[in-house]
Amino acid sequence: MVGIMNPVSREKLESLSSSVKFAIDLGSKLELCRQLKHDLLEEDAADLSEFLPRIFDLYSDPSGPVRKFATEIIGEIGVKHLEFVPELAPFLITVLEDATPAVARQSVACSIDLFRHTLEKIAIRGLYSSELDSDLESSWSWMLKLKEKIYSIAFQPGSGGIRLVALKFVEAVILLYTPNPNGSLEPPPNEGTSIEFNITWLRGGHPLLNVGDLSIEASQRLVLLLDQLRFPAVKSLTTSVIVVIINSLSAIAKKRPAYYGRILPVLLSLDPPSFVIKGVHVYGAHHALKNALLSCLKCTHPSAAPWRERILGALKEMKAGGLADLALNQVHKINGSVEEEKDDSLLIKEEKPLTKTYDAAGSNVGRKRSGTEGSSDLAEKDEVAGKRVKATPSASEESTKELNRNITVSQGDISSTQSSTRKVDVDTGPVQQLVGMFGALVAQGEKAVGSLGILISNISADLLAEVVMANMCNLPPTHPHTDTDDELLEDMCIVGSDTQAKYPPSFLADVISLSSTFPPIASMLNSQQSVPNKIVIQKTEGEEEVDVVADPNSALAYAGMAHEDENALLATDLPVSSNIVLPGMKIDPPTPSDIHDTGNLESGIPGLDSSFRNDGLSDTQAASSLVSTDIEDASQEQATSFGGKSPLHVLPSISIDRSEELSPKAAVTDSSSMVSSTATSVVSSCPFVLPKMSAPVVNLSEDQKDDVQKLAFVRIVEAYKQIAVAGGSQVRSSLLAYLGVELPSELELQKVLREHILSDYINHEGHELTLRVLYRLFGKAEDESDFLSCTTAASAYETFLLAVAETLRDSFPPSDKSLSKLLGEAPRLPKSVLNLLGCLCSPGISEKAEESQSGDRVTQGLSTVWSLILLRPPIRDVCLKIALQSAVHHLEEVRMKAIRLVANKLYPLQSIAQQIEEFAREMLLSVVNVDATERTGAEGLISESHKDSDLEKSSNEHQSMSSISKDISADVHQSDTSHSGSSPSVPEAQRCMSLYFALCTKKHSLFGQIFIIYGSASKEVKQAIHRHIPILVRTMGLSSDLLEIISDPPSGSENLLMQVLQTLTEGTVPSAELIFTIKKLFDSKLKDVEILVPVLPFLPGDEVLLLFPHLVNLPLDKFQAVLTRLLQGSAHSGPVLTPAEVLIAIHGIVPERDGIPLKKVTDACNACFEQRHIFTQQVLAKVLNQLVERIPLPLLFMRTVLQAIGAFPALVEFIMEILSRLVSKQIWQNPKLWVGFLKCALLTKPQSFSVLLQLPPPQLENALNRTAALKAPLVAHASQQNIRNSLPRSMLAVLGLAPDTQSSSQAQTSQAHTGDTSNSEKDAAVTEKSKESSSAS
Amino acid sequence: MKFRYAMVCSSNQNRSMEAHSLLKKQGFDVSSYGTGAHVKLPGPSLREPNVYEFGTPYKHMFDDLRRKDPELYKRNGILPMLKRNLSVKLAPQRWQDNAADGCFDIVFTFEEKVFDMVLEDLHNRDQVLLKSVLVINLEVKDNHEEAAIGARIALDLCEQIEAVESWEDSIDDIMVSFENKHRRKLLYSISFY
Repeated sequence: MVGIMNPVSREKLESLSSSVKFAIDLGSKLELCRQLKHDLLEEDAADLSEFLPRIFDLYSDPSGPVRKFATEIIGEIGVKHLEFVPELAPFLITVLEDATPAVARQSVACSIDLFRHTLEKIAIRGLYSSELDSDLESSWSWMLKLKEKIYSIAFQPGSGGIRLVALKFVEAVILLYTPNPNGSLEPPPNEGTSIEFNITWLRGGHPLLNVGDLSIEASQRLVLLLDQLRFPAVKSLTTSVIVVIINSLSAIAKKRPAYYGRILPVLLSLDPPSFVIKGVHVYGAHHALKNALLSCLKCTHPSAAPWRERILGALKEMKAGGLADLALNQVHKINGSVEEEKDDSLLIKEEKPLTKTYDAAGSNVGRKRSGTEGSSDLAEKDEVAGKRVKATPSASEESTKELNRNITVSQGDISSTQSSTRKVDVDTGPVQQLVGMFGALVAQGEKAVGSLGILISNISADLLAEVVMANMCNLPPTHPHTDTDDELLEDMCIVGSDTQAKYPPSFLADVISLSSTFPPIASMLNSQQSVPNKIVIQKTEGEEEVDVVADPNSALAYAGMAHEDENALLATDLPVSSNIVLPGMKIDPPTPSDIHDTGNLESGIPGLDSSFRNDGLSDTQAASSLVSTDIEDASQEQATSFGGKSPLHVLPSISIDRSEELSPKAAVTDSSSMVSSTATSVVSSCPFVLPKMSAPVVNLSEDQKDDVQKLAFVRIVEAYKQIAVAGGSQVRSSLLAYLGVELPSELELQKVLREHILSDYINHEGHELTLRVLYRLFGKAEDESDFLSCTTAASAYETFLLAVAETLRDSFPPSDKSLSKLLGEAPRLPKSVLNLLGCLCSPGISEKAEESQSGDRVTQGLSTVWSLILLRPPIRDVCLKIALQSAVHHLEEVRMKAIRLVANKLYPLQSIAQQIEEFAREMLLSVVNVDATERTGAEGLISESHKDSDLEKSSNEHQSMSSISKDISADVHQSDTSHSGSSPSVPEAQRCMSLYFALCTKKHSLFGQIFIIYGSASKEVKQAIHRHIPILVRTMGLSSDLLEIISDPPSGSENLLMQVLQTLTEGTVPSAELIFTIKKLFDSKLKDVEILVPVLPFLPGDEVLLLFPHLVNLPLDKFQAVLTRLLQGSAHSGPVLTPAEVLIAIHGIVPERDGIPLKKVTDACNACFEQRHIFTQQVLAKVLNQLVERIPLPLLFMRTVLQAIGAFPALVEFIMEILSRLVSKQIWQNPKLWVGFLKCALLTKPQSFSVLLQLPPPQLENALNRTAALKAPLVAHASQQNIRNSLPRSMLAVLGLAPDTQSSSQAQTSQAHTGDTSNSEKDAAVTEKSKESSSAS
Repeated sequence: MKFRYAMVCSSNQNRSMEAHSLLKKQGFDVSSYGTGAHVKLPGPSLREPNVYEFGTPYKHMFDDLRRKDPELYKRNGILPMLKRNLSVKLAPQRWQDNAADGCFDIVFTFEEKVFDMVLEDLHNRDQVLLKSVLVINLEVKDNHEEAAIGARIALDLCEQIEAVESWEDSIDDIMVSFENKHRRKLLYSISFY
């Protein structure tokens, strides 16, 4: 068969294989391998045989993946061309030793395939011929060698990763060697069809294979596998090996049930604690074992059956009971009735220990009952228990006790069986332990009341609620009726004689129907019904089987309930209890229905049970005992009186009667219950069985169930309202919350609950109840691992909290603290609630209608936020953000409130101060930054628009009515508004800055920032700042921080500084430091005297005088202000300067020397003269008096004199004196003053004549020449005899009164003086001019 | 990356997708699956979940829910989650139907129930390749926050597994060191393809 190899493909393969060899990187190598494999598998056997060595060659590659690939190729070639096995097997054996685990594993994996195929081929060949060719034989022998090699790996300890696959190999071999019960028994008719190989195809006489030998080997290997898991060996295994072995074993057990019996003991004896390997890893193996057992449990093969129980036990121990049930249930479904018998036996087995445990507990009904009583006791929180015992009629006490004991047995059975059925579902957590504890305490009777109380007071209401709920399933169904004044009944609103007295019958009936529709009870009753012979099934179905019994007609429902009980009791073969039922029920209108047959025939023992019932019925009727008739009468009576008459007087008698009646029968009942499981009980119990009616069992749809549950819940809620006075609300609200959250149609119920809470938040203890509900929901949301319920619960939580919060906000006055309290104590605050809070604090975002109230609401919101920040650190940041947002709110009222909170309450908190500061600074800077960027672009525009608007204004004035101008002005307004939009308006700036200012008062160093931004701020912002400063600075006062800022103000902030200083000095004496700082600032940096103005009143006079020239140099208005300051001084120190000093100081200024324009000085003078009430006549006189002594005379002296006369004409005499002194000072020497002198003389004529006449004649002549107007009056004056006589001749000559003897000399002098005069005239002109200008100004 | 990873949870929405998304970003060869019968997303109440078939594109669910009640689904984080998912892959895939996707080396589950289902499914397949697969269960609560944490932990574990030559030899050590580091219980099993 040496064919001619296709040269092309051969070449190709060769090149491929060599390129694999020489390829450099791993990726391309593998790619080439893939290619090679693909091509190789196309080739036929002949070609391949030549090529094999080349592939073996590939294996010498240093990289693991390539070697692995080579192995894979070999394996696939082998599977395809089994004839190569003798060559390939040795190769695979060597590969097993490969250093790289992955390669070795690949070898094992290939071997399995190869082994299976070889075995299959040999087996089938052998079927058809007695001889096999030698090739196959050698193949097989090689395969066996390979197998042995892998075996050795599998069972040799510590061979790591490869061992896992090797073990799998062992499993595969075992499976191959053993017959598959589910496989096809016949080999496929022709070779190559893909039916799974089954060893049973082999028959005797196969040349190579012997079924017996093979199965012996398989079982040997299995033993080896099992040995691995036995005690000493298992210790040395790694977890992964254990897991693989367990999985393999369970797979074998499942696929080859014959081995079930050998594998399971090992698995079962595998002790979980022994899994502690390397100290840690138990879970993996533990879990694998659990799964293995579970899958074994599902095995339906008969040989598996005996093991089931033990597996179940083991699984329960592993806490996988639920799963076990599920598995078992499946089995049952599969096995159907075949297994029924077994189940029954199981049931019996199970029941035995149960009754035993019950006996051992030694508790009677009292225990169970008082357990529940106990829990209701705590609701009442007093010693009702004690009272109740006393309240029981003494006559019946013993009998009831006796009775109780009997019932105990029966009920014990019921409840214990029931609890056993539930045990699987219900975890025995702390709640169950508590229930047990309560039970034990109550069993001790009254002496345990104290410790009960302590126990109760130590348990939280929530836990207590859980206990009550958990204990619900322990409630004996008959219990309510045996004990007529049970507190629990009252709580649950089931009728009791006490409550009957309290409530109108209609309510009673309602309550009864309620109790019958109450799902837990109903489901319990139902499940009990079917307990006896369906226990196992019951276990699996559990509570799902909820046949709620309900009837719209309350009376009927009541009857139905009664019959539920009876049936339940009957079903447990305890007819006695039906008697006991009666007294409690009291009203039982014997509806002549035959429903009792329909009730639970299927659950009873077929045939027997129904006949028994019929017996019971007929017997009772035949006997027509006093009791039953009594009761019938009574109940009929009662039924009629239900409408109006109180049945109270009838009831007690009946119940007492009943108990008396019952007491002698107790013994009988006892015995009957003992033998109740046998048919004889039918007879013995007959007399006590009353006419029975079974309730119509109505299967409700899901919707109806929902409705019923909801209705029940609503009733509970309503009933709670009515008994609120009774106290114990804690437990009740816990129960309500529990029900509201746990019942399935939860959303609706929560709505009901919400409505209940909100309908009267205060009186219904809304806060407590809400919190309970919230905590439940929260717990659910956190607890559930299921995405669905987790998210839903979280959502429900949010809805609930939000709804309550919204209602609290809307319906309560803002001063109410409920909302704050709720939010403070709720377990978690979702985003939506925080949003709500945000809206509350920053109104106007969404709702505008509530503006009127917003003020108070804001306060409410803010105080809530504050308390949240204090109480809930995790959401502090979010809450702070809310408060901060509110602090920059556009409404000032809101803003101020928030700022007060932030600055006064929050800012002092260390942890958040930084954050607040940053936010405030950001807001502050935002104003400036927007401004700065806008301004650079918009400056030109702004000024333009200003011009425009001015223009428009004027045009407006001109033609105010014209529509055109209106349009234009509108345009302008638009441009104005757009402009204000770009740079923040004053209110906007205030909005952003207020918070910062508020913080400044708390931390003065922050104030510096304002100085820094001031320079670059826009006009509006500056305005806003100026508005704030007075308040701010006044609040701050002078601190070292502020001083520091003042001492070095950034450039551009002068105006701000001024305002600050003004504010600082207003009304108070500035501190020496401040004055010092300001002076220093003036001396060093800021030469502007203005900054000194505020402190001028506090400076010493001489310093002020030094500064005077600077002050005079100020703009007039400011100088006037300075003047006032100086003259008024501060309230404390009095005036700094007297008015006279001021005027003198002004006159002391020499314009040239001090560098101050003369105009400024004259203005200053004028300013003084304007204030005549200060610069009075006396002041002026004093000033002039002093000034006149100055040498030289002040420049403005004469000007002032003139002004003085103008202002105070009465001063004229004084002035004359001055003038004459001037004469003596030779005033004419100073041409400027001389002009003024003459002017003054002219002004003050005729008084000035005497002064003029004092002038030396030449000066007089000069004067008269200059002011001609003087001459005539003066001459007239001088002509008077007395004066003329006193005048010297020269004088007279000048006046022209004497003969002109000296005219020449006069002319001479006059000539001599002409130069002077001409000069002085010029000067006068100058003074004149200046005067004019000054007057003009 | 030498191993192929699969992330499995029940609906292939939250936990598996969170991990898928994260590992994908880190360059892992990763797929994700759900083992449930349907894809269930929370609805207005527990009784009314939104149920989709596997294979329904995330985009479709996203649009559907956004149409139904954008407020609710945004609030409970479903819409953001779907948005994330649709950026990772087209639609949720079911584990039990993934035979065509080839063999995985490491399978992560995030819930014991899912772990069991994956193992059972693997055991029920024909184990012919005898290629071992490591199935690890990392218990993660099914909510958004925990899923994010779980994904990070899974990534950490993947990186450790990636770092060794063959996990078969060192898995126990990896698990021990992991448990010591994260204080989280791991469950693992080995199965074969």
